Amino acid sequence: MPKNDHYVIIGNGPAGNLAADTLRDSDPDARITIVSNESMTYYYRHKLTEFIKGKAREEDLTVRPYSVYKDKNIRLRLGQQVDKIDPNKKIIYLKHMETVSYTKLIIATGASPRALPSVSNFSKCLNVLSTYSDALAQIPMINKNKTFLVLGGDIISFKFIRMLKDMGKEVTTLLYSEAFWPFSLEADMAQQVKKSLSDKGVTVISDDHIKSVKKSGEAFDIVTEKGLNQSFDSVYSFLGMIPNIRFILGSGIDTDRGILVDDHLKTNFDDVYAAGDCAQIYNPDMKSYWLSIGWNNAKIQGTLAAQNLLGAHKVINPAPQKILEVEGLKINTSWWESF
Amino acid sequence: MKNTDRYKKNLIVSTGKNKTYASESVKSIIYSTDPRDFGQVKKSIPCQDACPAHTNIPGYIRCIHEKRFGRAYELNRLANILPGVLGRICSRPCELYCRHGEPDLGKPVSICSLKRSAADFKSPMHRILEGLYSPSGKKVAVIGAGPAGLGAAHELSVLGHKAVIYEAFEKPGGMLMYGIPDFRLPRNVLMLEIENILRLGVELKTGVKVGTDVSLDSLLSDYDAVVIATGCTMPNRLGAPGEDLEHVYSGVRFMEQVNNGETPYVGKNVMVIGDGFTAMDCARSAVRLGAAEVKVNIRKTEEYMPIDDQEKHEVKFEKIRFYSLVDTKRIIGEKGKVTGIEFLRTKLEYSPNPPYRNAVPIENSEFILPADSVIVAIGQQPFPGEISGKIEQNGARILTRESGFSTSITGLFATGDCASGASNVITAIANGRKCAVDVDEFLIGRKRKIHVVRLESVDNTDRDRAYDFIKRTPMNTLDFDQRVSQRSNEVEKGYNEEQAAQESKRCYLCSLKYEIDTTACIYCSACIDVAPRDCIKMIQDVSMNPDGSFGHYTETRNWNNVSAIAIDNERCIRCGQCYEVCPMDCISVTKTERIELNIEE
Ligand SMILES: Cc1cc2nc3c(=O)[nH]c(=O)nc-3n(C[C@H](O)[C@H](O)[C@H](O)COP(=O)(O)OP(=O)(O)OC[C@H]3O[C@@H](n4cnc5c(N)ncnc54)[C@H](O)[C@@H]3O)c2cc1C
Ligand SMILES: Cc1cc2nc3c(=O)[nH]c(=O)nc-3n(C[C@H](O)[C@H](O)[C@H](O)COP(=O)(O)OP(=O)(O)OC[C@H]3O[C@@H](n4cnc5c(N)ncnc54)[C@H](O)[C@@H]3O)c2cc1C
Ligand code: SF4
Ligand code: SF4
Repeated sequence: MPKNDHYVIIGNGPAGNLAADTLRDSDPDARITIVSNESMTYYYRHKLTEFIKGKAREEDLTVRPYSVYKDKNIRLRLGQQVDKIDPNKKIIYLKHMETVSYTKLIIATGASPRALPSVSNFSKCLNVLSTYSDALAQIPMINKNKTFLVLGGDIISFKFIRMLKDMGKEVTTLLYSEAFWPFSLEADMAQQVKKSLSDKGVTVISDDHIKSVKKSGEAFDIVTEKGLNQSFDSVYSFLGMIPNIRFILGSGIDTDRGILVDDHLKTNFDDVYAAGDCAQIYNPDMKSYWLSIGWNNAKIQGTLAAQNLLGAHKVINPAPQKILEVEGLKINTSWWESF
Repeated sequence: MKNTDRYKKNLIVSTGKNKTYASESVKSIIYSTDPRDFGQVKKSIPCQDACPAHTNIPGYIRCIHEKRFGRAYELNRLANILPGVLGRICSRPCELYCRHGEPDLGKPVSICSLKRSAADFKSPMHRILEGLYSPSGKKVAVIGAGPAGLGAAHELSVLGHKAVIYEAFEKPGGMLMYGIPDFRLPRNVLMLEIENILRLGVELKTGVKVGTDVSLDSLLSDYDAVVIATGCTMPNRLGAPGEDLEHVYSGVRFMEQVNNGETPYVGKNVMVIGDGFTAMDCARSAVRLGAAEVKVNIRKTEEYMPIDDQEKHEVKFEKIRFYSLVDTKRIIGEKGKVTGIEFLRTKLEYSPNPPYRNAVPIENSEFILPADSVIVAIGQQPFPGEISGKIEQNGARILTRESGFSTSITGLFATGDCASGASNVITAIANGRKCAVDVDEFLIGRKRKIHVVRLESVDNTDRDRAYDFIKRTPMNTLDFDQRVSQRSNEVEKGYNEEQAAQESKRCYLCSLKYEIDTTACIYCSACIDVAPRDCIKMIQDVSMNPDGSFGHYTETRNWNNVSAIAIDNERCIRCGQCYEVCPMDCISVTKTERIELNIEE
């Protein structure tokens, strides 16, 4: 019997690519399409800082060049944003008004930098770094500017700060201990981070909050609640990540902070799965919901979602725990891969 | 006769003849009572249809565009009597249905905030308009000075009856005064608009509780009619252990204390349970009382909360967290005081007909979070209490006759939340006014007001296509410091005049009806070529709605089958392009408005 399955995967990160591979391995004839709004093929996000420094070239970022997709007969649609899903009609709507029908769908749209409500009034003045095109666009500006303020509310900020210091920049960071992502920074941990960063020549401000950021000429004037008033060439915001699920709201696919899936990674629709940074799962051991984060979890989940979509009944477990060392902290983690 | 033939015939027949159903260009003003015109207005102006008081929304937004703020305010007052109040706290059912919010058209028009602009920018002490009837000599007692009671008393006064309001609290306003906090609704705005009602001769007796201070029976014998508008004042209980511990509050009682100027103890760590208006007000008030961490615990997810996005944004901006997918198992305490809550995680389960999600607790998922205080805001019910007596009830609600507001006792009427169950301010006002019309008919023995559709042919589209691409104007709000430094500081600052003008341009003015005169049409399809969406249809047949207005169009792409070319006013965004391009001038624009008329003029 000929199979008419069209597997569509939204997102071209680790979760999406591992899902596509798994589907291809067990179904050599199926139509497989990956749709992604980025223009780059599958690449290492954690190497973006090296790329900005000039220490890594585009080839070094690339996990998988275009030819591999061709060899595997995986249709790659880059630069195409999915705007809406109709899970009843099994159609996805692309931003340029095209529709694509699927028989089975895996959503692996990852996460984007979070804008805390407290910074919403001046979010226009804040830079974020999470994609290749962000990096590409910002390289000239980063090279030119001298003084940087980094709103340090997540683990990615440390890598970025280190990059700036390696590039000889003057860096001030405002540590968001209480809203830190993806773990909370207890007082002693915050102290260690502060020391480690200060030793590197970074000015660390803690227990204070940004009140306003205003553009004045080429620079940005910052005022904090405790009265600090200073000007910086650029301001970067690293305040954690939130799942990319806006386009799903109202479709009937249930979401909370991420896309709600069961322990088989299935959503409330039988033919729709979600994996990677965008998925939210109930974990009976933690007695809590859990948002998958990190490179390795995305790979594990992408693989498992595809297996279950093909009929397996595997239950998801987080990646095994390892010790992660960042800025003087040793963290036991299953969610972040140290590269 | 085929429906399309009837459609064409209608077009021809109504031209120039004095027929009230106007399906084509109307040269003069016509007041129509034809159900087909009501049907057409209902479909064409979705916001007005969704407003429980049927406020003339495109009408007042157009006035704002023309900077006629006083007129915009009066157009509101005609329907909803408290525009300055509603412009701040209305639950905005209209915006959900605004055509501008349809897929691919952007966000709904800020209908509510524009209403506030009308109130803000009308000149101070502007002239208010009332269509007063001469005195009837009849007296009506109204129990409760909430929005429903105020709406009823206002309309009764307009109709010439003496209205006397009995209110248990010291001040009028009901939940507007004792529920909604002043940082969302400044009391001077509320009191000014209440004064506008009282000055019609309404007598207000506050601090009088009917059932305790005066009996319902005595009111029934002293007055020609009595209206009960006592609202929903009894909080729903959680039914979980620990609810009676110290520092566990019900939402309505907590807000009552806050609005009385008291400072109930909240501690640093506050847990609010519930997902509606009341829960948000409690959480935001707790922040202003000095709480450091406030969580709003909800059983489902944010998507299913019954509050709008703007409100969600404000709540989060005040550093309040939504804690979703949790169900309260019990409230825990030590020495009689609350110390925490034991929750269960929940998961969503689909339930069909109508599609809905239930929150189902997950087994063995118990966990405890600490709390210094707990506010349970999971809705409220009517508490007819002492006044109920012999009145038939529907659960806790007062039973009213299906088609109106009369109760099981002759001369006794009920309206607002005590009859409908907990609703919102605009529904309560609309029902209060409708109830007064029922009372009037009971007292006078005949109907004195009717609704008609006013049709006026216009020769201007009043719009520019560029307006369609203007983005919704966000509300100006206070920053966090200013919000907490003084708890009565109003959070929303309203639009400035320029912003109001800009936002007013976004309204499509759906009250303008576009039509093609098929007798003059040469089927050049120039209009279809410029149309921004599938608004102009080549039709083969058209169905009829039960009210006689045109329903679903059967379209065709085959020219041989085209029996008419028509504008679908449910799809039309009134961009005016077709009107401008038509070489035969066969596209007409008619302003259609649902208005209230006095029958006896
Ligand atoms: C700067 C940086 C450094 C990092 N460093 C580390 C690290 O050291 N260790 C570690 O473990 N993790 C790190 N991470 C996190 C890691 O990259 C992510 O956890 C991982 O990429 C998640 O994979 P994913 O497949 O779920 O989603 P992603 O890799 O985010 O891929 C999702 C893709 O879907 C696309 N997409 C989203 N919405 C749509 C839509 N509507 N239509 C079409 N396409 C859409 C996105 O643009 C994206 O390309 C880092 C992340 C960043 C940003
Ligand atoms: C905290 C809170 C916030 C809310 N926020 C909003 C909002 O933002 N937008 C919105 O649209 N709706 C909101 N609502 C709902 C809205 O306030 C009600 O739906 C509306 O007020 C109902 O009007 P009503 O006139 O029927 O009753 P009420 O406003 O409750 O008025 C009833 C009045 O009757 C009086 N009364 C009761 N019994 C007696 C008696 N025996 N004798 C004399 N007087 C009596 C009461 O004291 C009260 O003044 C909110 C409700 C609460 C509790
Ligand atoms: S565009 Fe204007 S008239 Fe049309 S539905 Fe929206 S607010 Fe109402
Ligand atoms: S005015 Fe004409 S062209 Fe514009 S939306 Fe309406 S029918 Fe279409």
